[in-house]
Amino acid sequence: MHDAVVVALRETLGKVTGFIYPNELELQWSILIVLYPYLTGLVAGAFILASLERVFNVKVLKPTYRLSLLTALAFLVIAPLPLQVHLGHPERSFNILFTPNPTSAMAMFGFVYLWYLMAVLLLEIWLDYRKDIVGWADSDPSWLKRLIYKVMTLGVFKPTAKSFEIDDKVGRALTVIGLPSAILLHGYVGFIFGSIKANPWWSTPLMPIIFLFSAMASGIAGVLLLYMFLCWARDVEIEMPCLDTVAKYFLTAVIIAFSLEMLETVQKAYEAEEHFDILQLLIEGKLYLSLIVVQVWLGSLMPILLVGLTQLFELPDKVRKVFYAVSGSLSLVGIFAMRWNVVVGGQFFSKSLMGFTTYKLELAGREGLFSAFVISILPLVVLGVLLWLLPPWEKKPAKA
Amino acid sequence: MKDIEHLVRVAVIFLTAIAFFLVARAMIKPPDYGKLGRYRAGALDDIKALPVKYAGQASCAGCHKAQAKEKAGSSHRGMACESCHGALAAHAAAPKGPKPSKPSEAEMRRFCLRCHEASVSRPAKFPTVDDSKHNPDVACSMCHKPHAPKL
Ligand code: HEC
Ligand code: HEC
Ligand code: HEC
Ligand code: HEC
Repeated sequence: MHDAVVVALRETLGKVTGFIYPNELELQWSILIVLYPYLTGLVAGAFILASLERVFNVKVLKPTYRLSLLTALAFLVIAPLPLQVHLGHPERSFNILFTPNPTSAMAMFGFVYLWYLMAVLLLEIWLDYRKDIVGWADSDPSWLKRLIYKVMTLGVFKPTAKSFEIDDKVGRALTVIGLPSAILLHGYVGFIFGSIKANPWWSTPLMPIIFLFSAMASGIAGVLLLYMFLCWARDVEIEMPCLDTVAKYFLTAVIIAFSLEMLETVQKAYEAEEHFDILQLLIEGKLYLSLIVVQVWLGSLMPILLVGLTQLFELPDKVRKVFYAVSGSLSLVGIFAMRWNVVVGGQFFSKSLMGFTTYKLELAGREGLFSAFVISILPLVVLGVLLWLLPPWEKKPAKA
Repeated sequence: MKDIEHLVRVAVIFLTAIAFFLVARAMIKPPDYGKLGRYRAGALDDIKALPVKYAGQASCAGCHKAQAKEKAGSSHRGMACESCHGALAAHAAAPKGPKPSKPSEAEMRRFCLRCHEASVSRPAKFPTVDDSKHNPDVACSMCHKPHAPKL
């Protein structure tokens, strides 16, 4: 016999409780599948923040506009990676494009993703930066960067003033298209879970909306923290009106996301369908720490309280900054916990509604903690490269 | 024209990319994809051509009449021979070849306990024993006959 398998089986069998079906012994959706909606959520959230500036002309948000776009791009590039690593055969992923299956939400995602990446994000960033790119193409001190910029101008080195006006209009139109695309991109992730009707923890039409608002909360929190960090790292003043406005949007998103989550829970409790007993045991037991403590108290109520205080009272800049930074970080952790609670939580109970499964998070290995960690760091590396190439702030004049 | 030159260039790049995609698709997509469903029709023949690994109970019974008869009257009757002995099509086709495996005495306990270890996740009626209490350290086959386990 395969000794290792038998030993692992014995060990796992010792940890499950109640009655479970044999095929539930191994949790199929690992931490990488937790990471995936988390990363796409950050994309959608960051992009929506950028759109607010553009579409609704919120001028104070200017300092975070480009940063939000670059953040969205950096996370979007990495977002499919957890799926690829989870499934194993990245070289086959083109097949979902080559042989499209219109009845599979999962397969259609490939197109949504490509559309959003190519037609929306890349174009919008390019149009917004074009003026700078043309300038940098002959002023940047590094020949390598000059070369990259030259390629990025697509050979149009002497743009007309009118062309920038046109760019502005096109960019605006792109954002208007981009907003529903971003919502589609993330709504789809919720849709996938919401439409798994066999699982009462997932199956609710509210799921896409909940995912969307928590995505906004996490994306805005991410940009808020990045903005504060970059100001600190570059040793420039934070523009408080901008930060305050970002925090206000953040608060709105957290409140809506949290209310929806609670609404859903209360509704489940009130309906008290036959699966509610086990869900209750789940919430009070295996998910207590990650759901009640981290997601609800630390990840939602604390940020609402802290940022709420800044809305009610006139607090000094310093205090507000601390409150924002703490709330943003808590919310990022809380929303990760929310994804965990949805993805892993939904696999913790048996379809028999009479037993609990178990998930052993390994350290190394393809789907282990280490690879999840690397995948979470990668977007920041990509962002670093993007910030190097396309600094969202005014570039210091060359050879000053 | 000068004002939108850059947009035209982007459009050309996009169209080229789409054209490239379509050409690549035409080259990569197997011609028989989609004929029968969302898969390559030829895959069926490929799968059919794979060597068969299991012979099936009926074939074992032809040569091992004693074990088959013994098992047919026991509570293990519902289990195929190969669920305990492993895939043996090669053996059934050439019995003189390498001897098929059977669980050794050393691994016997672990082998039987795969199914018979007490666990709450098993139906209450299913006969189970506690490894540490049920005659520990003695191979199950010392007392139970694998093909007719009832004592
Ligand atoms: C064509 C006749 C034939 C068929 C069919 C056949 N066997 Fe055998 N089997 C034999 C013979 C003959 C031996 C003895 C070989 C030896 O001793 O070298 C044997 C040996 C064995 C042994 C080893 C016995 C021992 O003492 O180690 C096992 C186990 C076994 N067979 C199982 C099976 C199973 C299970 C099947 C059905 C998939 C099967 N056989 C099909 C003829 C057959
Ligand atoms: C519950 C699992 C199980 C099933 C089902 C089973 N066997 Fe066995 N078989 C064993 C074990 C265990 C041994 C070894 C017994 C020993 O070493 O004392 C064995 C031994 C044998 C032997 C060697 C001779 C002997 O009797 O010890 C043959 C031949 C054999 N089995 C054939 C078959 C055939 C044919 C079938 C299907 C009709 C079958 N077995 C079904 C577990 C099983
Ligand atoms: C693949 C799973 C499996 C393996 C391996 C297996 N058994 Fe069983 N065993 C069963 C099933 C199924 C039953 C029938 C249970 C029932 O009647 O509900 C059973 C029944 C039994 C019984 C009860 C007999 C009766 O009539 O009350 C005994 C004793 C037993 N097995 C012993 C063994 C021994 C010893 C081994 C190792 C050689 C073994 N089993 C290996 C599945 C297995
Ligand atoms: C020393 C002899 C001996 C050994 C070794 C032994 N058993 Fe038993 N086993 C018995 C006896 C005797 C009974 C019947 C007792 C009874 O019915 O209460 C029994 C009963 C059983 C039953 C039926 C329990 C029930 O609830 O009907 C199972 C299953 C079983 N044994 C499995 C095993 C397995 C698996 C092993 C190896 C890990 C094993 N036995 C080893 C003697 C043995």
